[in-house]
Amino acid sequence: MQTSNFPTIYSITESEIDLNDLLAKITLTSTGAAAIFTGMVRGVTSRGEAHETEYLEYESYIPMAEAKMKQVADEIREKWPIVEGIAIVQRIGKLYPKTPTVLIACTAAHRNTGVFDAARYGIDRLKEIVPVWKKEVGPDGQEWVEGDYIPKPGE
Amino acid sequence: MNHIKLLFFATIRDRAGTKSMEMDIPADMTILQLKEKLGIDHPNLKESMKSVLVTINREYAFDEAVVPSNAEIALFPPVSGG
Repeated sequence: MQTSNFPTIYSITESEIDLNDLLAKITLTSTGAAAIFTGMVRGVTSRGEAHETEYLEYESYIPMAEAKMKQVADEIREKWPIVEGIAIVQRIGKLYPKTPTVLIACTAAHRNTGVFDAARYGIDRLKEIVPVWKKEVGPDGQEWVEGDYIPKPGE
Repeated sequence: MNHIKLLFFATIRDRAGTKSMEMDIPADMTILQLKEKLGIDHPNLKESMKSVLVTINREYAFDEAVVPSNAEIALFPPVSGG
């Protein structure tokens, strides 16, 4: 397997996330499946403490975030060597409800190769170690959302 | 003395009132001692220093680590991307 030829895309961007463009970049002639996760701004939250969101304002420690996204991609390749292409993109700035904010896509030859798990691992890991934060602005004011994961040495 | 650059993000930046600052610290200062110093120099940050995440040159760092010269140190709350 020529792993070195497998495309890996990772970036923090202020631009719209272009799914078709990213998918084309991680599709090889040997690719037959892609698992894609994308998250968007939720305007109305009913789970937990119900509330409404006007917009989210994202910021990032960009050079570290991109290095940690590459680390997430490396971890995916170590756990699922069958994965062909990987795209990890986080959009930052002021983002309104229904707008996609993050995208993780993994491609493989077939769907029953663990490619779904690989994409899920990617988003879970991004939310643990990639330095990005969001401030939630709603009718009742604004509040930074804080995660709860404390990285361990070596992460 | 070691010269270092500090970067603040999210809640920590709001409380510090600035995105970054530069400072000189003793050559053997640890992350724990740096957090204590910041809490004393900037009382607004004192409470945040208990749960803050710290990086040295873009890698997560922990209390016992010694801060190297010319380090880029970042302080921020647990991440909330996605």
